[in-house]
Amino acid sequence: MEFLNFLLILWIAWLVWRRPENERLAFGLLVLSCAIMALLFLVGTHTSFVPGVNL
Amino acid sequence: MAVSQRRLRDALVALVIILIAVPIGGAVVLALIHGDTPCILCWAQRTSMALIALVGLFIVRYGPRPRYVGTAVLLATWGVFMGFRHSALHLARDVGQGFSASIFGMHTYTWAWFIHWTVLVGIGALLLFLHWKEGEGWPREPGRAGRFAMGLFVVVVGANALQAFATTGPPPFLGQADPVRFSFDPRRWVWSQEELGGRLSLRGSWTIPEPDVGDVDPDPAHGPLADLPSLSASGWERIGVPLAGALSGLAHDPATNRFLAVTDRYEVYVLDGSMARSLHHVAVDPGFSIDLSPFAGTAFVGDTLAVLSTNKSYVLLRPDSTADADLEWRHFRETDGGMRELRLGRFATVRARQMYVLSLAFDPSADEMITVAVPSPRHRRLVVSRFARGDLVLSSEFEPRPAPGLRLTGEDRSLAEYVVTGAVVVDGLLYALSAAYSTLLVIDLRERTLRGAYAVPELERPVGLAARGSQLFAAQADGRVAVLERPGAESPRAEE
Repeated sequence: MEFLNFLLILWIAWLVWRRPENERLAFGLLVLSCAIMALLFLVGTHTSFVPGVNL
Repeated sequence: MAVSQRRLRDALVALVIILIAVPIGGAVVLALIHGDTPCILCWAQRTSMALIALVGLFIVRYGPRPRYVGTAVLLATWGVFMGFRHSALHLARDVGQGFSASIFGMHTYTWAWFIHWTVLVGIGALLLFLHWKEGEGWPREPGRAGRFAMGLFVVVVGANALQAFATTGPPPFLGQADPVRFSFDPRRWVWSQEELGGRLSLRGSWTIPEPDVGDVDPDPAHGPLADLPSLSASGWERIGVPLAGALSGLAHDPATNRFLAVTDRYEVYVLDGSMARSLHHVAVDPGFSIDLSPFAGTAFVGDTLAVLSTNKSYVLLRPDSTADADLEWRHFRETDGGMRELRLGRFATVRARQMYVLSLAFDPSADEMITVAVPSPRHRRLVVSRFARGDLVLSSEFEPRPAPGLRLTGEDRSLAEYVVTGAVVVDGLLYALSAAYSTLLVIDLRERTLRGAYAVPELERPVGLAARGSQLFAAQADGRVAVLERPGAESPRAEE
């Protein structure tokens, strides 16, 4: 999944660099990529969402 | 301070280039040189940094629109949380026991925490100098440096994508908690979905309910040990002093024939040998410097009174008729003026970590204090922890095993079902009284075995245990005390 997200980020960077007129599409994909990143972190911490220390 | 928007844009480009080249690009270099491979949390943090750099490129290209600045702030804030959550796995380990690559003495997960925090500082600094209105002042073209940043970004993120493919695989595979070292050889690649396993939890192994004796089953017939002999009370006594709160611990000092009683409201009473008269009384202030949870056990340690809370924090007191009332005001909510506080502290355990306690004993022959951990749904163990009197640091821990002759009632039963609420040491034996199943356990401290066990059906959720001569005093929360004849050193179970 991390691989897929990096491909998505590459696509967004390409839009910003070479197709700047697609700003809305690029930003929408950016939000999607952020969501995937956050979701993958939550998958990795789903057995204890908050830090395992005295809070 | 007047800073042109072009100069501000150039500063942003420089920051983006540093972010791309150092942490995101440097991570790939670590893989090539050291075989360093990110775990699933590292990947999320690295991706977050790439996304922050990408938002920087958005700003370079389109200007500092609020939605871009807002996205960068949200990403950095989330990154700080990720860094804290990830670092917390390792922060409390011993010296040199961190995980993954160490750079200038800090491991990569700690760097991720620092970098996201630095991004927030950077955004704040840039906003200080920003005088931007939609379509005004901000350069329309990214410029040479901006285009270089975009090209560098594509190259570095492309390299990260290749590393991600090798170490995490294509969907539906995802990163791992414990990855293996990086290799160009596809036969060495590990692709898995192991991170999808395990149950959802907010606090994981820290989800420990505070112990509640009211919840336990007092019936000895339901206990994990089979065919236990019964022990009857030879009499009942009652603490004759009105107690503030429920009794939670009892001890006896053979040298002075005094009793020591504590309650769940932080009250400490030194009683005479008949338990009818209070010789000293204080109410300890449980807050400030070290938090004391409700008192759970107590013991005489020579002329020192040791009082233990359920959270393994302790207070050491000493009767002293010359105690300075003004000095002791900070320690006590109430005092009769004849007590001073010697020390506050916390017992640190290993096997009994993340477990509460409900008892305290003192072993004079070993000069050690002893606690017995109570099990929780997360940690089902019966752990005896011993602490040296000299420095109050853990000296040993063990889980007693049943001696021959003691039999569990089923394969799924264990000694960890007992909830020890009172303990006392006599002649090298730890007498531990369990409120669950109203059972007296006799633990050989040298052999680390459970030598004997006795059902005490007359008890109703006892909270403390003291010894005087051949008698044991099993205290209950309401102040009633059952007097039992102490079983000898020989195990009746083994003899049968």
